[in-house]
Amino acid sequence: MEYQWNWGVFLLPSAVNDGTYLDWMFAGLKTTLALSLSAWVIALLVGAVVGVLRTAPHRGLSFAATAYVEMFRNIPLLVQLFFWYFVLPEMLPAAVGDAFKAMNPVAQQFIAAMVCLGFFTSARVAEQVRSGINALPRGQKNAGLALGLTLPQTYRHVMLPMAFRLVVPPLTSEFLNVFKNSAVCSTIGLLELAAQGRQLVDYTAQPYESFVAVTVAYLAINVVVMLLMRKTEALVRVPGYLGGK
Amino acid sequence: MITIDKVSKHYGNFQVLTDCSTHVNKGEVVVVCGPSGSGKSTLIKCVNGLEPFQQGDIHVNGTSVGAPKTNLSKLRAHVGMVFQHFELFPHMTIRDNLGLAQIKVLKRDKDEAAEKGMYFLDRVGLKAHAHKFPGQLSGGQQQRVAIARALAMDPICMLFDEPTSALDPEMINEVLDVMTELAQEGMTMMCVTHEMGFAKRVAHRVIFMDHGKIVEDDSKEAFFANPRSERAQQFLAKILQH
Repeated sequence: MEYQWNWGVFLLPSAVNDGTYLDWMFAGLKTTLALSLSAWVIALLVGAVVGVLRTAPHRGLSFAATAYVEMFRNIPLLVQLFFWYFVLPEMLPAAVGDAFKAMNPVAQQFIAAMVCLGFFTSARVAEQVRSGINALPRGQKNAGLALGLTLPQTYRHVMLPMAFRLVVPPLTSEFLNVFKNSAVCSTIGLLELAAQGRQLVDYTAQPYESFVAVTVAYLAINVVVMLLMRKTEALVRVPGYLGGK
Repeated sequence: MITIDKVSKHYGNFQVLTDCSTHVNKGEVVVVCGPSGSGKSTLIKCVNGLEPFQQGDIHVNGTSVGAPKTNLSKLRAHVGMVFQHFELFPHMTIRDNLGLAQIKVLKRDKDEAAEKGMYFLDRVGLKAHAHKFPGQLSGGQQQRVAIARALAMDPICMLFDEPTSALDPEMINEVLDVMTELAQEGMTMMCVTHEMGFAKRVAHRVIFMDHGKIVEDDSKEAFFANPRSERAQQFLAKILQH
């Protein structure tokens, strides 16, 4: 039997009559974008703090930060996701757990997915930030301190601005990874892009069209991210330094 | 102004400084020299607490550097330091390099900081470069900016850690000229340097270090005319040959 291509499938009204199948795809795309972007914000904020702490001249702090990174980096994303979604609500104080479980299921899935993806990615961002800080000439820190700046001020005004510039390229690939990893969140039932694609297959038996559409959507996201980060890189380029003019 | 009293420092088993004692009086220029690895850079970094030390103490203007309760940031704000590799902040314009600590540490307002910065930039002959970034200047120019940056904090003394070692030969003099001028104005200075010509012209005293110990600590006349230790004699013989 030959495969029956039908690109018109996207314009058909969906089986449950809530718009077309194309609307499904866009709903999935929107969820993927919202999930990934919010997770990225968490990852950047937490990652920056943890990355800085890893370089802190304080045994306890740097140990805690290292433990954090190793934990989130070395447990598979899928396992972490199940932990946040299935296990943690049971371990929380009853009031909090119940409040979570009383929420609309889509919100539950979204929050668990966002937190999971955010923390998972934050460990990777932390490593990038740490390597950026370590790549700076050692004298920069001394120069800041010698002027009377405190250590936090030296990080804030002297080291981090350069460290972040250095790690824009590796952060680009982490940013891309957030979008790709977000597909894992379909396993807890969150209807993001990949899940919508699979649902479309179930309802229409048109897998090729569906997965081509999903692929194109992911590609489009990644092209936009890449352009955005390239723009960022150019914007923060320092004259006379590292390829700047 | 600076009193170094029996300072010793080690990294693990490796002894970097052994029982170093000396002092720098107000208005005095002291040159610290010695072979590489002799601990001179480490010693000067101990003065403003950038390097911790295990024994002894250092007092700068009466404040103990070693005491745990000393606010080192506050002390460093008034002790200028110039580094071998300039260490300007590459992401800031020259003007902002000079302004940062004035604003964040001394709490000067922006205009005052800019004005002060421009005054010292003018003094090192680089007023026209205020809008540029460090990477756009030559090494000699960057080092002069670094000196201006330290001076803008109104330091009570200046520490120089091999300020000309990373420079092309033709740029060394422009930096030494600025330092000489500073010395003539009566700035208290402690300079780690191999520039013996500078030491001869400008220094009041010369300290010679070897293997983490202060081997000679004498007036420059005595040091150059008649170094007491054999090690210093060898050092001078080699360094003054060319």
